[in-house]
Amino acid sequence: MSPEEGLRKSPKCWRDQQRIRREIARLFGKSQAEAALQGKVPYICGGRFMEAYLVSGDVLRIIDKIEASGRYPYSAGIYVGRLRRRKPALIPSVDFLTYLYSVLGRPLRALTVSESGLKPFLYGNDVLKASVIRCHPPIDEDEVVGVLGRDKVVYGVGLSKIASCRELRSLKPTDPVALNVFDVGWYVRGGTTLKERKFKLQG
Amino acid sequence: MKGSYLKMLENVLSSLEVRENSLKLAHRYGYLPYMITRYIEMLGGEKEAEELLKSFEKPLKHHLRCNTLKVSDCRDLEERLERLGIQVDKLPWCDICYRVRGEGGVNLGATHEFLAGMYYLYRGAASLIPPIVLSPGPGDLVADLAAAPGGKVTHMAQLMGNEGGILASDINRERMRALRSNVERMGVRNAVLLRIDARRLPSIFQGFFAKVLLDAPCSGEGIIMIDPGRKKRTGIQNLLKFGRMQVELLNSAVEMTAEGGLILYTTCSIAPEEDEFVIAEVLRMREDVEIQEFEPPISMSRGITHYFGIDLPEEVKACRRLYPPIHGTEGFFLCLLKKV
Repeated sequence: MSPEEGLRKSPKCWRDQQRIRREIARLFGKSQAEAALQGKVPYICGGRFMEAYLVSGDVLRIIDKIEASGRYPYSAGIYVGRLRRRKPALIPSVDFLTYLYSVLGRPLRALTVSESGLKPFLYGNDVLKASVIRCHPPIDEDEVVGVLGRDKVVYGVGLSKIASCRELRSLKPTDPVALNVFDVGWYVRGGTTLKERKFKLQG
Repeated sequence: MKGSYLKMLENVLSSLEVRENSLKLAHRYGYLPYMITRYIEMLGGEKEAEELLKSFEKPLKHHLRCNTLKVSDCRDLEERLERLGIQVDKLPWCDICYRVRGEGGVNLGATHEFLAGMYYLYRGAASLIPPIVLSPGPGDLVADLAAAPGGKVTHMAQLMGNEGGILASDINRERMRALRSNVERMGVRNAVLLRIDARRLPSIFQGFFAKVLLDAPCSGEGIIMIDPGRKKRTGIQNLLKFGRMQVELLNSAVEMTAEGGLILYTTCSIAPEEDEFVIAEVLRMREDVEIQEFEPPISMSRGITHYFGIDLPEEVKACRRLYPPIHGTEGFFLCLLKKV
């Protein structure tokens, strides 16, 4: 295969009518999804993984030109995250959670962790009960949660091991609250190489 | 039409005589001898050439750019860095840019602040200049044709307030990964990333962009202090090959620019073969582009118009250069063009 043929076999992308909106609404609520999508066009690129984006009108003008040439972008606009066939159906990106929390004015479906808990999390470790200083509902078992520092910055995404914020009270300090799915330490560990896959979930 | 400047250059360099003084300096500092002969010609003497070689032996100070897409007040970042023991001085010519005076034993590429995209880290100051010179605004459609790893794309997105649109293209698969990683980390939301040979872009984007940045792939003859392997990596034939590719890339950049739009050509090289000769060659080939004077944010030298007996057009003087021994940065070249 020539390098040019390789370039042409980019994954196919399309404007999404429902799926991104539905997944955001399922996780964060219908009105919250509408607020996030305001003025943006949902866009999906499929390939080995199915990646979701929100793009503005100007970004779409560039995409239209690319698509008219029979090519597809590598990525575009706001990276919403990865769409999956099994639960969790959407792994949101750190940037999307940052964007969403900014639009809504508060975090949802998130855990705020202490500095001492954030350090091991940024090395790929899980969030333990001892390091959780605040829980932001709704929380569901085996569903995604944003992981924030005390500075309100989103540092990663976890997979909740608890079914509600109330359940935290019954846990021991060393019990896991959320498994590490993605943390921004990945930008150093695997962001430029193939040493570590992006999301620690199969499929 | 005047003869090809690249052809003239090829004739000169193919029969380049390496003098004794070049051999001595090349041996002392570990360079290919032909490079030294060129430095003597370019800088006017052996003493000046040795000053350049000495400056390539000195490490550069790290620089960083506060990312206002993630940080609402850069003073907060200054305080966070201070708490980590990192000492920074704000640059007088860029109010979001800092020179790192003391790193406090901290790995600047692994702090929580870095990982959260609060700053972008640079090896030297020169790469901060191109986005400031091109100065894209919020409504612009802009292209960066050799965008990885993303320092200039993320800087332009910041200047544009994440509005408008940026096409960020690169051909290399591994470098695309780094580009995407940096774009996500820095919270850039107005960019479209495309893996493609930039020479194919004019067929997609004919006359489309208001501003195009081409930080061309080059020999890196300005960043030898960062990558000493470059002292011996590029022979004469490869240097000439870079020049021919750069002319093709710059022609693509011009094709993609709308009438009245701006093209900024830059390299991290002090080699006239990749700088003024590329500009002169494109001016010779086309009638729809002209050099623009611009006021650089810091003092910079003028473009070279005489080299090994070849005279380049006078307007090439409007291009600008950074020399490590004079400006204390990596070696760098900028030239602003306007599509007419």
